Amino acid sequence: MSSLEKRLAAEKRFKFYGMFAMTLSLFFVLILMYKIFSTGSGAFVRTTINADVYFDPNFIEVSSNSSKKEIMKASYVDLADQVINQNHSGLDEENFIKVREMYTRKFDYQLRDYIANNPNVIGKTVNLDISASSDLDQIVKGNYPRNVPEAQRKINDYQLSILDSLDSKGKMSKTFNFWFFTNGDSRDPETAGILGALMGSFYALLICFSFAFPIGLLASVYLEEFVKPGKITDIIEVNINNLAAVPSIVYGLLGLGMLIGVFGMPYQVPLVGGLVLGFMTLPTIIIASRASLRGVPPSIREGALAVGATKMQTVFHHVIPLSLPGTLTGTIIGMAQALGETAPLLLIGMVAFVMEIPGGAFDPATGLPSQIYLWSESAERGFLEKTSAGIMLLLSFLIIMNTVAVLVRRKLEVKW
Amino acid sequence: MVDQNSNYALQTSEVYVHYGKKMAINNVALNFPKNEVTSLIGPSGCGKSTFLRCLNRMNDVIDICNVKGKFLLNGNVDIYSPDIQVETLREKVGMVFQKPNPFPKTIYENVAYGPKIHGIASSQNELDEIVKDSLHRAGLYEEVKDRMEDIATGLSGGQQQRLCIARAIAIRPEIILMDEPCSALDPIATAKIEDLINELKENYTIIIVTHSMSQASRVSSKTAFFHLGNLVEYGETGKIFTKPDKEQTNDYITGRFG
Repeated sequence: MSSLEKRLAAEKRFKFYGMFAMTLSLFFVLILMYKIFSTGSGAFVRTTINADVYFDPNFIEVSSNSSKKEIMKASYVDLADQVINQNHSGLDEENFIKVREMYTRKFDYQLRDYIANNPNVIGKTVNLDISASSDLDQIVKGNYPRNVPEAQRKINDYQLSILDSLDSKGKMSKTFNFWFFTNGDSRDPETAGILGALMGSFYALLICFSFAFPIGLLASVYLEEFVKPGKITDIIEVNINNLAAVPSIVYGLLGLGMLIGVFGMPYQVPLVGGLVLGFMTLPTIIIASRASLRGVPPSIREGALAVGATKMQTVFHHVIPLSLPGTLTGTIIGMAQALGETAPLLLIGMVAFVMEIPGGAFDPATGLPSQIYLWSESAERGFLEKTSAGIMLLLSFLIIMNTVAVLVRRKLEVKW
Repeated sequence: MVDQNSNYALQTSEVYVHYGKKMAINNVALNFPKNEVTSLIGPSGCGKSTFLRCLNRMNDVIDICNVKGKFLLNGNVDIYSPDIQVETLREKVGMVFQKPNPFPKTIYENVAYGPKIHGIASSQNELDEIVKDSLHRAGLYEEVKDRMEDIATGLSGGQQQRLCIARAIAIRPEIILMDEPCSALDPIATAKIEDLINELKENYTIIIVTHSMSQASRVSSKTAFFHLGNLVEYGETGKIFTKPDKEQTNDYITGRFG
């Protein structure tokens, strides 16, 4: 074989290896995506049971004239029980409990919210879709097998027979589970939502950006444009590169030890989470920003200096605006990384059960990744699909942020 | 050599420049007559650009560059004295670089930037007038008057270089330093710049570094020949190119080395 043929054959082989590697990784990504989507899609659908609800004034502590606050404070447990008795006649005490278990435990809250929105409904009968319990939901979706012995099932034979009779009457239906997007966390999978975690992550990232971006930008401008290179800058440079590679859990420990331990900041709040994520993102921003400052041609600096601009004017009028696209891209990618970071959140306590949706950076909250972690730890089958749906949401935010980073670079980049 | 003769825009003597330990300029003394064009020629690495950059202290930016010597502006201002702000010096001594380096902003902003930071214009109208006038003097106004808000990097190389000249003269300097201003341009753009230099010398003292000996003979009245950091010969351009005193100069201009 001639030398040229050998070289061409080597090139062909190399191409083949490359294609093989790419196909393999694409295959794994597809499996991952398929798994997440097939498991997670169930979280967007909720099983409901159609029932005639008579808002019996005898079982309601408030009237149509009561204030919203009073309506929200009152108990509707008795009303819920009454509705079940009306829709399933002739239940003894034992069977009543079984039927009650088929409906969501938050039945009374659902009734309360309905009354709060329509106070005039008291004394009238309305046809409502009541959310089923998560176990029933899983049976209907086929995630729990029906053909196993009763003892291995969460839904017993009696409940199955009720389910089938409701189904034959056309009372079972499925609706879009908007609760997933509007609720905070819950002990019951059917009412658990991601909004609390989403807002927690949002506030944390807001803090992260407002902390890390200005400091990172100024630090890199100072290091790149003002300081004379020497031993000290070399040491700083090495340290910044090192910090960028430090595992995120170490930053979590820093937050726990310094922010919470020394400065006495509260546990579990997005403020601390955001600062910790900011520490973590800072080296990334500085590295990206320095690289992009270095990319500004020296001739621009000379041009400005030659017309008598000061060093500061040169940097702020010309160099920083030209380096900003690169800096912003680095910042967004750093923030995307911070969004998915779980370990620091675990250490500073943003992993506890929080029902309320946080209204600011000082309210207790979880973050998206820690909420996913929490759900994945839960025993109930209903949380499995929530976990996957949470991952889907997190992934879509990451994709959006990375796309924005690319667009920012394309849009603002100066062409020479 | 330094005297109080105010016919010189700039007088230098005993100039030494070191890059770290390496000597770049060795005891150079040169005077630049007012409203004349002086060429600095010599082979690459001879120190002519380094010397030029001393004249508006652009070498200050380079940390390892060490400049010693006497530099007198208009016979009385020592430009390296601690009392002199480098920004005010550069207001008087403008510079045009080898590669056109307009700011990636609009044509208008490029010219207006200098007057703006020095507060030369007291009103927007005055600023507009300065921009227009500078572009006129740089021979660019007719070509760009309808697209003042276009980004300057979209201009051709020759136009960009004339824009840089307009930017330099917008702050009304006395001296314009040009560091091989035509080396990145085609012959037509080069000819335009050379014409422009001939017009500008009415009002400005021009010091130009060039690799092209024909350019030096076309545009300048005085020529200085540098070699290995030394000033070999200085004199009337006509004399340097026809009857140089030194063997070295003769070898260089006849193309025997360099």
